[in-house]
Amino acid sequence: MAVSGMAVSDECKLKFGELKAKRNYRFIVFKIDKQEVVVEKLGSPDETYEDFAESLPADECRYAVFDFDFTTSENCQKSKIFFIAWSPEISRVRMKMVYASSRDRFKRELDGIQVELQATDPSEMSLDIIKGRAL
Amino acid sequence: MYGGDEVSAIILDLGSHTCKAGYAGEDVPKAVFPSVVGSIDQMEVDATEMENNSGPAVEPKNNSKSLDSDKAKGKRKLYVGSQALGYRRDHMEVLSSIKDGVVVDWDAVEGIWDHAFRECLLVDPKEHPMLLAEPSSNTQQQRERTAELMFEKYKVPALFLAKNAVLTSFASGRATSLVVDSGGGSTTVAPVHDGYVLQKAVSSSPIGGEFLTDCLTKSLESKGMTIKPRYSFKRKETRPGEFQVVDVDFPNTTESYRLYAQRIIASDIKECVCRAPDTPYDEIAYSNIPMTSYELPDGQTIEIGADRFKIPDILFNPSLAQTIPGMEHFAEIAPAVRGLPQMVIESINKCDVDIRRELFSSILLAGGTASMQQLKERLEKDMLEESPQAARVKVLVAGNSTERRFSVWIGGSILASLGSFQQMWFSKAEYEEHGASYIQRKCP
Repeated sequence: MAVSGMAVSDECKLKFGELKAKRNYRFIVFKIDKQEVVVEKLGSPDETYEDFAESLPADECRYAVFDFDFTTSENCQKSKIFFIAWSPEISRVRMKMVYASSRDRFKRELDGIQVELQATDPSEMSLDIIKGRAL
Repeated sequence: MYGGDEVSAIILDLGSHTCKAGYAGEDVPKAVFPSVVGSIDQMEVDATEMENNSGPAVEPKNNSKSLDSDKAKGKRKLYVGSQALGYRRDHMEVLSSIKDGVVVDWDAVEGIWDHAFRECLLVDPKEHPMLLAEPSSNTQQQRERTAELMFEKYKVPALFLAKNAVLTSFASGRATSLVVDSGGGSTTVAPVHDGYVLQKAVSSSPIGGEFLTDCLTKSLESKGMTIKPRYSFKRKETRPGEFQVVDVDFPNTTESYRLYAQRIIASDIKECVCRAPDTPYDEIAYSNIPMTSYELPDGQTIEIGADRFKIPDILFNPSLAQTIPGMEHFAEIAPAVRGLPQMVIESINKCDVDIRRELFSSILLAGGTASMQQLKERLEKDMLEESPQAARVKVLVAGNSTERRFSVWIGGSILASLGSFQQMWFSKAEYEEHGASYIQRKCP
């Protein structure tokens, strides 16, 4: 497979671990900076899906994890961790290529992702779709 | 591990119709030329050269230059590149190096590589790492042969083989997608999941741009319009604005060369006038559509009507090809050939249930034929009709036609230029230590 060989900073793993175990973040946005994946933004637990969606730039690629809380039909409180590869169509080809070819390696570093999404416009990662995939 | 110095890598994408070559990091390939080669058996060459010396026939002045490219392989002489092929030669056959994604003539492939390195890019392959794009269906044997040739003959410092479909998918920002690559020689549908091609679900058909071009030629011929290859006539200006066309006869021209020269013109007609119809083609409904005119190189103006829509519709409904006089031989393979929407559905249905939804929503249209007007819209419409209710169908194409045509090459160019990629190369040292079969490990 064609992979970029991009490195992943320790902070990514650390913060993801905290999101998973301590639940002290709602979401994390990652970006690729100088041949390494780094944390760009952390969302506090009381931030909403809208806050998360606004954190993704309209014309640049990002990776993100989102901790989604929901209630099942049996009235049971649950949460699932989403991994989202954000790659808007208007972003530059180079950026799309870099993010897509580094994704597999990066995802492996984050142990505990339950659902994966790739989105090229906001409608592909709307709250409805997230709900649909969580159930 | 290959250190990866400052020397930029070379990206080669040898398709069944055109070869794309250039430097990593650039936006478009530096050289684009046909991946067919002209070939003359050596014995006959001697004979024709004698004729030329005695007669007034003009040999091109670039004789010394063409000697480099014209590799005398065994008993035949190869002519590579648009220029060398553009000149008609007695007894020159036009051969393709690749059929259905598989190399059938390694000498021709070497000729093409030589031409790309030595004449188009002017590089010494010893100094540049090479990234080659390969078809999804490439066999292990072919890959090892490629590695052997690259390291032994060209002595490249490092090599990488990347799958066409994966490069296209990545270049559009997706690690999972269904790549519909409609190129010159064939159309291939390949699902990519997490950066891997799902081999079992790959399907391909021989209907590509070239097939459509042939259909168009035959259809025009059946209506009494013949496309004269550029070499077969001389056009003189007798008075300002007035031209006289004189046919010239070259009895020793091969049929394959005549077809090659004719295809160049026909494919331009196709690109200028054809457009995928919004709904399946219907002979009666289209019988009254306005004609579009096109001026042939010999000055003759032809009018094209329903064919503008009928030819592209063959992609969706291959059996239409049989209705064109002269294409009847297609009936032999027709039952096995599916239309584009069926190929897409069949391919998706061969994949795991869990990823089907994602594939339906990321159908990527790429390749030269993808530039056909309205093709994306029509495919999306047909897919909506034929896909399961719950599926969200989305067909994506790159914004401009350059990106569509060269998506594979562009993907390779970006990948090989990444600093972090330099550790991924299959290096010469590794080749010497582990042998050609190690390519399977380095470039899975």
